[in-house]
Amino acid sequence: MTEFAIRTAGLSKSYSGRPPVHALQPLDLAIAAGETFGLLGPNGAGKTTLVKLLLGLAGPTAGTATLFGRDITDPEARRPVGYLPEGHRFPTFLSARDTLRLFARMSGVDEAGRDARAGELLDLVRLSGAADRKVGTFSKGMLQRLGIAQALMNRPRLVILDEPTDGVDPVGRREIRTLIERLRDDGVTVFLNSHLLSEVERVCTRVAILKDGAVVRDGTVDDLTRQGRAWHLTSTPLAPGTVAALAEAVGEPADLPDGLQRQTVTLPDRTALNALLDRLRAEGVQIEAVEPARQSLEDLFVEVVGDGTADSPRS
Amino acid sequence: MIGLFLLTLRELRARKVVVGLFVVATIVWVALAFALQLDIVDGSLAGARLFGQETAENDASYEPGAPILDEDGQPVLDEDGEPRRYDELPFGSASMLESVVFGAQAFVAGAGYWIGIVLALFATGGLVAALTERGQVDVILTKPLSRSAVLAGRLLAVMAVMLALTTYLFGAVWLTMSIKSGLWNGRFLLAILVVFSMFAVVYSIVTLVGVWSGSGPLSFIVTLGVLFVSLILSIPTLQEQVSAAWRPVVTGGYHLLPKFGNVGSTMVPQLATGGAVGSLYPLLSSLAFGAVCYAAAFVLFSRKDF
Repeated sequence: MTEFAIRTAGLSKSYSGRPPVHALQPLDLAIAAGETFGLLGPNGAGKTTLVKLLLGLAGPTAGTATLFGRDITDPEARRPVGYLPEGHRFPTFLSARDTLRLFARMSGVDEAGRDARAGELLDLVRLSGAADRKVGTFSKGMLQRLGIAQALMNRPRLVILDEPTDGVDPVGRREIRTLIERLRDDGVTVFLNSHLLSEVERVCTRVAILKDGAVVRDGTVDDLTRQGRAWHLTSTPLAPGTVAALAEAVGEPADLPDGLQRQTVTLPDRTALNALLDRLRAEGVQIEAVEPARQSLEDLFVEVVGDGTADSPRS
Repeated sequence: MIGLFLLTLRELRARKVVVGLFVVATIVWVALAFALQLDIVDGSLAGARLFGQETAENDASYEPGAPILDEDGQPVLDEDGEPRRYDELPFGSASMLESVVFGAQAFVAGAGYWIGIVLALFATGGLVAALTERGQVDVILTKPLSRSAVLAGRLLAVMAVMLALTTYLFGAVWLTMSIKSGLWNGRFLLAILVVFSMFAVVYSIVTLVGVWSGSGPLSFIVTLGVLFVSLILSIPTLQEQVSAAWRPVVTGGYHLLPKFGNVGSTMVPQLATGGAVGSLYPLLSSLAFGAVCYAAAFVLFSRKDF
């Protein structure tokens, strides 16, 4: 039986006003334990609202949600969760080590394990050298890395990261990406809320796109970015007669090194694709590669939300 | 809750003003210890000097209400030919020694009440609102803690520090005066509870407004406003000075709001000096006001969207 890290049923949130703001439309979402889930959407789409509802920072207008089967209204539901909020603020008068210890205590981490875990995580996020420095003296990137360490202090089974690479330099970004992949490999469920589409594309196994408080796309990155029945064909040049016979099914060829060409072929199904490949081989065409045509996640994002109201995604 | 308690203690320590309050309290009792010199002979006050200045006559025979005798033991007469008598001592004191000790203790209690509460407000006023600030609240409220425990941890730390501060100041003054005079006025220590209780009442307003608005300055201003209005309403002749239409408002406001004026001007000195406390109503109704404010703050905090 599948264990769900997050499960919502008709979860919605409206804020009173004239007119009322429907920040999140009734949402049914199930994220299995161990998934690496990316939530995308333009500003105001409802991403932060969803996270706030899941973590008890705001109460739902309707619907229910559970974290590992426990209702979100129960504070204990948050025990296996680590959270890195966007724009977090730690007390500036504490050292990095004391910050981790103190928030670990609030997370219910045993006193015996706190120091060792804090040291381990400070190493992991490259803050060992600044462990006893006041947080008030930290740069934005250091604060972000400390925030990640804080989210991991309780060895969470679900990590919710809100813009984890915000303010982090390219090297730091790569390290955070590696860290997320490591968490994924360790079976930790990762819920990633990010504008950095390339990052989401690289680390997430599943993505949902929110728009106007509703999910408009949900699926694996592979499924979402695959472009229907189109394939990229890399081969030696096709005979002119073949190209003429295939008409609109074959796109304009692009020349590649070694006398190869690349073109997109659009066919009704896999059988038609194999028939075409048989014909090309019979004509002496040498095939280098055939791969499903995909669009990038950024292209998909712009296609889905790009009506002029979306913020430009950063990639 | 312990985590929040410890975090708040660290925050108070980081705010140098709390340390400053302890320093001020130390200066007060040290100054009292060195500046007030009491000469006690056979349990009676033979002389008292404040900063070297004589403050009490060397008169062991001082008996309130008794006739004053001249060198020959004859009563000294006034202009009307009546015998002059020793004045009644303040605070219902039975001796000059008691009146000096009670006077010093009443002064410290009164100053501690008014100045201490306002200074403590400066030191701690922004803590509740700071708890609700974006970035901090996101980290804290997403821990497996109930919101009540979060707010309670915050408040308990503030109250613990203020109780320690009040106990330190009043206890040190009491100990100093008692050792110097040999007069152990235990009732003075009751003032600790009253002053601390009234601080808790004041802080209930800070808490409610802080939770509701998330603004430290606003919660501070509103609290000072309530203090000011309650002082106005506690003026005994106010009822006679306002028009008939305003009397119900004055009466209602008086009973509804905390009675800082009554408690500070009457109850605290009376308690400090061993005098009779006429009525506990000002204190009890103030505590009831505080309880309602805290209850409202907890309900609001547990339901608020962040």
